[in-house]
Amino acid sequence: MAETTTTFTNATQVLEPFRGIKKVTIEEYFTSGHRTCQGCESALVMKLMVKAAGPRTIVLGSTGCMYVANTTYYTTPWVVPWMHTQLGSSGSAALGTAAGLKALMAKGKIKAEPINVIAFCGDGGGADMGIGAISATLTHKEYNSLILLYDNESYANTDIQISGMSPYGAHTTFSPPGKVHRIIHKRWKKNMAGMMAAGHPECRYVATVCASFAVDMMNRVRRALTIGGPTFIHSLDPCPKGWDYDPMLSHELGELAIETGVFPLYEVEDGQLKYYGKTRAIVDGRKRKPVREYLLKQGRFAHFIEEDLAYFQAKVDEMWEKWEIPAVVPFRRLDATKSVLDVK
Amino acid sequence: MASLIAEIVYRGIFQKNLAARVARGIVLSARKSGRWGIAFGRYGDSPQRNGIPAKDFAIVADTKEELEQNMARYEPKHTDVTIVLDDTLAKGVESWAWYGLQPINKLTVPNGTVLMTSLQSFDSLIEDVHKREEPYTLALIRAKASFSGLWVYREDHTEVRVLGALAKIAPQFLPLDGVCQAIQEIDWGSDLKVASAKKAHDRLESRVVKITEGNAEAPFAFEKPKWWEMREGVTIPAIPIGKPKEGGEGYVPDRNPYFKKYTTRTMRPVIDFDTCVKCNLCWISCPDSCFDVMPDGTFDANMEACCGCGVCEAVCPVEQCVTMVNESLFEDNASQWEMWRKDQAAYKTWLVTKIGDKQGTLRSHGFRFRGQYEQELAAGDLDSGGGVITAGIPGENAAHKTQ
Repeated sequence: MAETTTTFTNATQVLEPFRGIKKVTIEEYFTSGHRTCQGCESALVMKLMVKAAGPRTIVLGSTGCMYVANTTYYTTPWVVPWMHTQLGSSGSAALGTAAGLKALMAKGKIKAEPINVIAFCGDGGGADMGIGAISATLTHKEYNSLILLYDNESYANTDIQISGMSPYGAHTTFSPPGKVHRIIHKRWKKNMAGMMAAGHPECRYVATVCASFAVDMMNRVRRALTIGGPTFIHSLDPCPKGWDYDPMLSHELGELAIETGVFPLYEVEDGQLKYYGKTRAIVDGRKRKPVREYLLKQGRFAHFIEEDLAYFQAKVDEMWEKWEIPAVVPFRRLDATKSVLDVK
Repeated sequence: MASLIAEIVYRGIFQKNLAARVARGIVLSARKSGRWGIAFGRYGDSPQRNGIPAKDFAIVADTKEELEQNMARYEPKHTDVTIVLDDTLAKGVESWAWYGLQPINKLTVPNGTVLMTSLQSFDSLIEDVHKREEPYTLALIRAKASFSGLWVYREDHTEVRVLGALAKIAPQFLPLDGVCQAIQEIDWGSDLKVASAKKAHDRLESRVVKITEGNAEAPFAFEKPKWWEMREGVTIPAIPIGKPKEGGEGYVPDRNPYFKKYTTRTMRPVIDFDTCVKCNLCWISCPDSCFDVMPDGTFDANMEACCGCGVCEAVCPVEQCVTMVNESLFEDNASQWEMWRKDQAAYKTWLVTKIGDKQGTLRSHGFRFRGQYEQELAAGDLDSGGGVITAGIPGENAAHKTQ
């Protein structure tokens, strides 16, 4: 049993960060026998997420790969209690479960102890459909829950349709490159973690993670669960099926996404932003790798010509060079010499 | 009045487009000789996953009525031809939506044909395929398995080779002329592809497999719950937490007992326990939690849980400590660590043989970089599926695999 914080009302388990890979919990709470792809990074996220959280945890999963592949035909790889919830309702399920536990404990129906509540959602379920419910949950500061968005950049379960998180130009079922129009998907990906952090001033913890950096990732989960209240984590998950690559590259593509600056690693704790890992090195001046090193390893970008690669690079450069807070907050302050009314 | 039912067994996602082309090609070829046909995928295989065995079906009939009769079934119970697009499927398939393992020839009618793309010998393949009560014919297209992905297709002519071979196996339904004409007209067809189909027709090798031949193992099976046994609210017992390997040391997780996933595997990790530095990277990076922790701190890949992605080889910091080797070189799922513990010298010999097999360590799991398929096809004989390019393989072993 983990140590707990003192006040019952918002008590959480105190999960100290793992000091290195050798100190990581040996037990698995999400084990083998799931129907995911070879090299599925999202399955790894599930494994690491509950490994970090420990046995006194309830997991809620909205529809998506990690629901369908993990609990089918009366079989499961879950060791901890798990419940399915509807596609758009990871936020509501997290809040409801946290509130339910609290009520049962207050009434003395179950033992009063801190139980981790984690709701996960895919990018379709979280960033598209469920964003309203997640947003609402992040304002309920008296309930402890973590919402983890595993982002494989498409509706991968139903065979790769565009989501609000699909990157510019990617080949998906909804955006096949053609002879006349090479680029069909022209929207830039949403900035989920930045949006959640900026928009919910009482949410105490928002972080981005990538499972290629396993210990860093688990420690972000531990921090989110320890700090209490509603928290949010956004994980970028390379997807061999939708991104079209040899499954052996899953780990490497996660690293490349960070090293090219396409996806930043940071955490916002009580309003304080901290970059970490290789993103920290970029902020401190290490050169970002060119995005082409990341893009051209994926079949979904195989139709890109130099112009497209240059556009993608320019957009990523803009994230780092023009945004008010690099790679986190996209808007800019007005030029100090102009007043607001001057700008049309 | 007759009909031909074909199933196409393939590796999910890697061969999804290939299987669809074969199924469509069968129907269009049949139309050329005035027959009727339909092609469809198996509902239970959707949504598909990389590597998990999946099936498409194609049915050809002399009359529309006969075709309708076949279409009234959910999926065919028997097939005249079982087309197998990857020879590691010979060991049997545990599909997405199934309980237990099905022999690859399970649906093939007595004296029917199992058609496979393979570079292996008949004998070594028959060792893998389960024995059955009736004889059948094993026919081989001498080419390696063609893997690509959802978006970039590997144009190595495998689809037309299969169609050409079918013209040899069932000329009464798919005469070669009709097949060639269909290939000529189809949007992915060409003169070169017609030539490939003819070559495959002429070169098809086949032999009858007797009832005494084959793998005698009884495939693992489970009782599927009946509808009246299903519990209200659908609750499923969770998996127990697992236990130490032995003497309180190490750790072996419990696993989903009903879905083992290993028939998804086309290559398996072979581990050198002597050079392992116990860095934990393979263990922590495995999406399938397949590594059991041994009392000495090394990691044993559990062969019933491993689905062969290769991430362990990619992250391992020691050269040739984890090496992915083709599944066809193994007979069982026995523990490598136990083998090593029993006799370390013998294990070393075994390991060196396995990872030293040049053909067995070649990787063909789809897209690694743009232009790869074109380079592969230019690097070798097109008839057998081109050469192999090892560029872009991550990890310490990468240099070793460069030809």
